[in-house]
Amino acid sequence: MALAHVRNVRQESGVDGDVAERLVKVAEKVRNLRTHGLEEGVSTRLLVYAGQMIEGGVEPVAACEATICRPITDDLEMQRSILELVNTQF
Amino acid sequence: MSTQGGGSAGNVGMYVGRDMLAAVPEERRDDYLQLVQEISDLKYQLGVEVARQLPRLFEEQDDEAIERYLDQVRAIADVGWKSGVEVAKQLPDLYHAPDPTIADSYVEIVTEATVGPPDDDETRAFAGELEDLERELREIEPKQQRAAELKSLLAARDRRDERRRKHAQELAAALPPILARLRPKHRDCYMREVRLVAAADPEAALEAANTLLDLLNGERVSHDGAAEWTRRGLDVLEKNKEVGRGYFRMGSKYSLEVLEELREGLALRQVARVLKLYATALSGRDVAVRGVDEMEAVDRFGPDHIILPADMRFFDDDDRNFVAYKVAAAHGAARIEFGTYRFSLDEIPETVADLDARYGMGTR
Repeated sequence: MALAHVRNVRQESGVDGDVAERLVKVAEKVRNLRTHGLEEGVSTRLLVYAGQMIEGGVEPVAACEATICRPITDDLEMQRSILELVNTQF
Repeated sequence: MSTQGGGSAGNVGMYVGRDMLAAVPEERRDDYLQLVQEISDLKYQLGVEVARQLPRLFEEQDDEAIERYLDQVRAIADVGWKSGVEVAKQLPDLYHAPDPTIADSYVEIVTEATVGPPDDDETRAFAGELEDLERELREIEPKQQRAAELKSLLAARDRRDERRRKHAQELAAALPPILARLRPKHRDCYMREVRLVAAADPEAALEAANTLLDLLNGERVSHDGAAEWTRRGLDVLEKNKEVGRGYFRMGSKYSLEVLEELREGLALRQVARVLKLYATALSGRDVAVRGVDEMEAVDRFGPDHIILPADMRFFDDDDRNFVAYKVAAAHGAARIEFGTYRFSLDEIPETVADLDARYGMGTR
């Protein structure tokens, strides 16, 4: 896991290191789906948005669904798969 | 029978007036009323006339004349009550005629006139023939009714058969494209169930053909479940065609209830792609998710396959059944990611050498 990546998310969103690590882990796992119709991975910006929502009091799974699952694909089954990854991490 | 106060009792009161009763000697009034009652039992109009005439005879206190009068009235009433009424009216006057036989002659004339000559052979033949014909007509009436019922029944069947042929034609056109969409493994089951419904009602079969396609292709019921769903629908169809067609259209509450009852957990086919993506994301390898019913087609312990049950019915609800699938998929993904199935006996000597080099002597 890229520590710099974790650090960026933590610093930009204000979440603690554990949450930042989980968010980055989700992004890494989603990257494995690039050859399955996912055109782009989860950017750091999206992770920061997720972190900010979590820091703002939104439940982590709901925050990730809003900032990660839905924006990166219209494929409902893909969205659900990513959401299950989020569920696994949180 | 009470006669006090000039009143009357029973039906007699309807035609015995106060003045009539008053004209009868008091000690004979009961007899008077009783005789009137007897005659009126023969015919009401006869009773009325006798009630009018009898007081005169009672006044004369001639019981023999009263008896003779009543006998003659009864006799004439036997052959025709209308003549009897007229005779009852005239007879008392004739009893006072100078010739005492005139009353009897009068009754005989009227009787013969009423009865008429005895039937001749032709009349009897006509009567007999008429009786036979009337009997035949009475016997044929139920047959005519039955014939009308059968006509109506056959006409209804003709109309039904016409509809049946029309829907069979529609079924013939609809089935091929449906069969093209049907997964081959469901073909036998599908054909068997649709055939059962088509034999009972082609219109219902049109509905069943579409519904069974969705149920089987969507893995929403097993083959046994499809057979049970069809059987229950045929029971409904037998009782009421319209309701039965609604059942096969999945348009009835009962149909949905039966389906819910027969549903066998969460079908892998419904969630296979989600699980594949999930496992692929977890493991970083392009994995394939297969059902146990497809095991013959794949290398069970191949490096990129996760074999899962064809349906998950461990829990009552789909959400938890999905979680069970997810756990199994994650387990399979971990085996793939960490190389459980990559182990090969050919690698053992090399592995031993590596371990020996790493940990020193004694490793065997």
